[in-house]
Amino acid sequence: MVLSTSFAQPQKCKIFLSGVVVDASNNAPLDRAVVEIRELGLKFITDLEGHYHFYNLCAGNYTLVVNHISCDSISLKTQIQRNIIKNFRLPHSFNELETVSVSAKKDILLNTIKEELSNKIIDATRGQSLGEILKNVNGVAVLQTGSTIFKPVIHGLHSQRILLVNNGVRLESQQWGTDHAPEIDPFIADKFTVLKGAGALRYGSDAIAGAVLIEPKPLPKQTGKNAEFNSTYFSNNRQYVFNGMYEASPLNLPELSYRVQATYKKGGNARTPDYWLYNTGLEEFNYSATVGLRKNRFNTELFFSSFQTSLGIFMGAHIGNLTDLQNAIQSSKPTQNIDQFSYDIVRPRQSVQHYTAKSKSQYWLPNDHKLNLIVSYQSNSRKEYDRALLSPRPELDLNITTTLVDLNYESVNTKRGQYSFGINAMIQENVWTGSRFFIPNFRAQNIALYATQALSIHNWVLDGGVRYDFRTQTIFRNNNDAFSSSKRTFGNPSGTVGATYKITPNLRWLINSAFAWRAPQVNELYINGLHHGTASFEIGDPNLKSEKALNFSSQLKYQLDSSWQVDLTLYNNIINDFINMNPSTPATLTLRGAYPTFKFIQTNAILRGLDFSMQKNINAHFSTGAKTAFLWATDRKTNDWLIQMPSNRVEGNIRYTFNTALLKEASIDLHLLHIMQQTRIPQNIPDYLPSPAAYNLVNLDFNTDLIFGKQKVNVGLSVINLLNERYRDYMNRFRYFNDEPGRSINLRCNIKI
Amino acid sequence: MKQVKRILFGMLFVFSLAGCSKAVDKPNDENEHESINGIELIFSESGGPTKSFMLEDADGDGGNPPSRIDTIFAQPNKQYSVVVKIFNIKNGVSKDLTATIQSQGVSHEFYFIPTKITAVIQKTDRDKNGYPIGIQSNWQFSAMGSGSILLKLMHKTALKGPNDGPNVGHSDIQISLPTIIK
Repeated sequence: MVLSTSFAQPQKCKIFLSGVVVDASNNAPLDRAVVEIRELGLKFITDLEGHYHFYNLCAGNYTLVVNHISCDSISLKTQIQRNIIKNFRLPHSFNELETVSVSAKKDILLNTIKEELSNKIIDATRGQSLGEILKNVNGVAVLQTGSTIFKPVIHGLHSQRILLVNNGVRLESQQWGTDHAPEIDPFIADKFTVLKGAGALRYGSDAIAGAVLIEPKPLPKQTGKNAEFNSTYFSNNRQYVFNGMYEASPLNLPELSYRVQATYKKGGNARTPDYWLYNTGLEEFNYSATVGLRKNRFNTELFFSSFQTSLGIFMGAHIGNLTDLQNAIQSSKPTQNIDQFSYDIVRPRQSVQHYTAKSKSQYWLPNDHKLNLIVSYQSNSRKEYDRALLSPRPELDLNITTTLVDLNYESVNTKRGQYSFGINAMIQENVWTGSRFFIPNFRAQNIALYATQALSIHNWVLDGGVRYDFRTQTIFRNNNDAFSSSKRTFGNPSGTVGATYKITPNLRWLINSAFAWRAPQVNELYINGLHHGTASFEIGDPNLKSEKALNFSSQLKYQLDSSWQVDLTLYNNIINDFINMNPSTPATLTLRGAYPTFKFIQTNAILRGLDFSMQKNINAHFSTGAKTAFLWATDRKTNDWLIQMPSNRVEGNIRYTFNTALLKEASIDLHLLHIMQQTRIPQNIPDYLPSPAAYNLVNLDFNTDLIFGKQKVNVGLSVINLLNERYRDYMNRFRYFNDEPGRSINLRCNIKI
Repeated sequence: MKQVKRILFGMLFVFSLAGCSKAVDKPNDENEHESINGIELIFSESGGPTKSFMLEDADGDGGNPPSRIDTIFAQPNKQYSVVVKIFNIKNGVSKDLTATIQSQGVSHEFYFIPTKITAVIQKTDRDKNGYPIGIQSNWQFSAMGSGSILLKLMHKTALKGPNDGPNVGHSDIQISLPTIIK
C-alpha cells in the first residue's frame, strides 16, 4: 500500500521525493529498508525512523521498488512532476509468496561489495550471453574462447573461483574448463547482481573471487495473466533470438501462480572487419517452468529448466600440434579457414545439455522466525568433438549430476539485528564416456554448517558469518581393466565480517574482510591429456592442497541523489597455495608431433586493484558516466606477474534522453571503451605472441518506447564496434589465430502484454 | 573440532546413501584411446624383399614418448613402392585404421618431407576428387647419406586442394623417421 501527498513547487530536476517505510502489520517504522528508483539506479537505505529521501530528481516516470529483509517487496510505477512524499506500508512476508529477489538478498550479507546491472543495460543486452552481459559490471572482464564462449572474470579470477547462483541454486557443471561457458539463459532473469569478494557464505566457501546472483522476477502475486515477447537480431553473425514468457495466477485459485518461458537462438559465422570465421555458429534452445503455491504461513515453489546449446569452434583455431600453432601465428590472417558465411556447425564443436530441478519451501514459525528448505538436482552432459573422424563418438563426453540440500533458519529482523544459520549438503558424481580420457570419474560430497549475524549500532551496520565445510572426493580409475579408487578429505573454516559507516547522509564507507578456501578440483588434481584449443598437454598434480584466500575490500559511496553518484572500491586478495597452470619441460612427444607441457602448481598470489565509477546527471536530457578498473596480480613466490589477467580499462558514456509524440522515454547513448595493452605479463613464462595492442571501441545505442493504442512496445537499435575496429584481446584464447568480430548492428524489441 | 567433524561425516554418509549411482564406480579404460598410436611403412621393390618400418607410442599421447621409431634403411637409385598403414594398438591388439583414412580421403593427405637426403616421392593414390592421398606412393633416393623423413598426415576437411603444401590443415600425425641410404 502506498500513501502519497504532493504539493506544488514545479521545478525541473529540483524535485524532492521523501517518505517513511512502515511495517503494514503494526505500523512500526522499518529501518534498513531499501528504496530504489529503478530507472536511475538510485538507492536509499532507510534510517531507524524508516525515513528516506531523494533530492534533485528530474520530472518523469519512475519505478519505485521497496525491499526489506522481513517483508515483501513493493514495486510502484509513478509519475513524478513536483515535490512529493510517498509513504510505503510493507506487507509482512508470510501472507504472500515471497519474492525470490528478496530471499536472495538475505543470502548475502549487507556489507558485501556488490553491483547490480541497471534495467537500461539489461534491456540493451537482451539476446547476448551471460558473460557478455556481465562484462558491463565494473571490475568484471570476460575470458573468451573465440566469438561464442564467454566466461565472467571478477577481479582477475574465474571458473571455479566464481559462484554462479541461478535462481537460488549454484550452477554445477564442468566449470573448470576455460572454454566451458556457463549454462544459464539470461532471459530467465530480470536481475543480475555481482558480489565482489567472498561474501556468499550460504552457497559455498569456494567462491574466493565473488559470486553472480541471477534472479528471475517474482511470480505474480495478483490474479491475472502477463505475457512478454523478446526478439533480437545481430547483423554480424546473422543471429536471431526469440524469447517468450507467460505467467498467471488463476482467479479460482489465487494461492497458485506459475510461469513458463522459452528461448531459441541461432547464429552463423562471425565476421571480423576483413574475413568470416568459419564454424563459429551456435544454436541454443532453453525453457523453464515455475509453479508457486502460498498458504498462510507456508509457501513453496517448484522450478524446472533445460538449457541446450550447440557451439561451433573456429576451424582455424583447432590445431594439431606446436608446428601448426606456429604456422597459424605467422600468418596475419587465418589460413585454415573458409572465408564465407554459413549457419552450419561442424567438427570441432561442443554440445551441452543442462537440466535443473528445484524445490524451495518456506515456513514461518509462530514467533515469525522462518525455516527455508531448498532441494535441487542438476544434470549436465557435455560432449566435445575434435576435428578427427576416426570415431563418430565425442572425444570428450562428461556427465555430471549434483544434488544440493540447504536447510536454513532465519530470525525475524529487529532493530538490534538479525541472525540465521543453516546446513547445506552436496553430492556430485562425474562419469566420462568419451573416446579419450581427460578427467577421471569422481564422487564429491560436501557438508557445511553456517551462521550469520547482522547488527545495527548508531551509524554503523555490522555483520559477519562463519562456515565450516567438510568435503570428501573419491576418484575411480581404470588402467587396462585394473580398477582402483582413492579418496581425499578436506575440512576448512571460512568467514566474513563487514561494516558500513554512514559518514554523512550521502556518504557511506563500507569495509569487508573475508576468509575463504577452495579444495583443488578434479581437473587440477588428475587431468592428463591433450588440450587441442591451446595445443598443450595438461597434467594435474594429485598432491595439491586447498587454496586459502584472505580478502580485504573497502568501498566509498557518495550519492547526491540523481545528480551525482561516485563509487570507489579498493581490494586486496591474498591467496595462498593459489593453483595455477604453468609451462613445464620437457615437451610432450607424440606421434602427432610435439606439444608444450603444462602442469598445475601452487604458489602464493596477491591480486589488488580498484574499481571506480561516477555518474552525473547534467540536466533533464543529458547524463554522463565514467568507469575504470585496474588490477595488479602478482605471484609472490617468483615475484612476477600472474598470467592471463585482464588489462586495465577505462570507459565513458554520454546519454541524451527525450520524449516526442511518437517516442516515449527515448534515449541515445554513446559509449567509448579503451582497453589498455596488458603489460603485466610474466617474464618467466614464454608466450607464443606478445599481448595485443591497446584498442578503442565505440558503441551506440538507441532505445525507445512506442505506444500503439494501449500497447507499449520497446524497441532498440545498437551498433557495436561502430568504427569496425580491427583488434585482438589478451583475454581471448583465440587471439593467436584471428581478430575479434567487427561491426554489428543489433535490432531488438520487447512487448509486454 | 573432532566431534564436529565426526557429526558432519555421519550426516554426509546418510546423505550419500540417497544419491549414489553405480556407473561412477566402473569407469572406462583410460588407455582405450581411439587414436593413432602405431604407424607402419612398408617398402617393396620389384623383384626385391619387402621391408617394414614401425613407429609406436604404446601408452598413447602423453606419458612416455613414442616407444619405437625404426630407422629407414634404403638403397640409392632404386624404385620403392611404399604403403603407409596406421593402427590403434591396445594390449598388443592392432586395429587397422588405414581404411578409415582412405574412406575419408577427401579430408586427408600424407606428406613425406626429406631432410639432408634427396628423394623423389610421388603419391600414386587419389581421393574421390582426384587429389592425392599418399597411402600409396613411389620413392626413389638419389644418393647415399643419412638424414630423416618427416611424416605428416594432414587433416583438411573442406580445405583440400590438388597441390596443397604440407601446412594446409591440422596435423593428425607428425613424426620424423631417421633415414640411412647406403
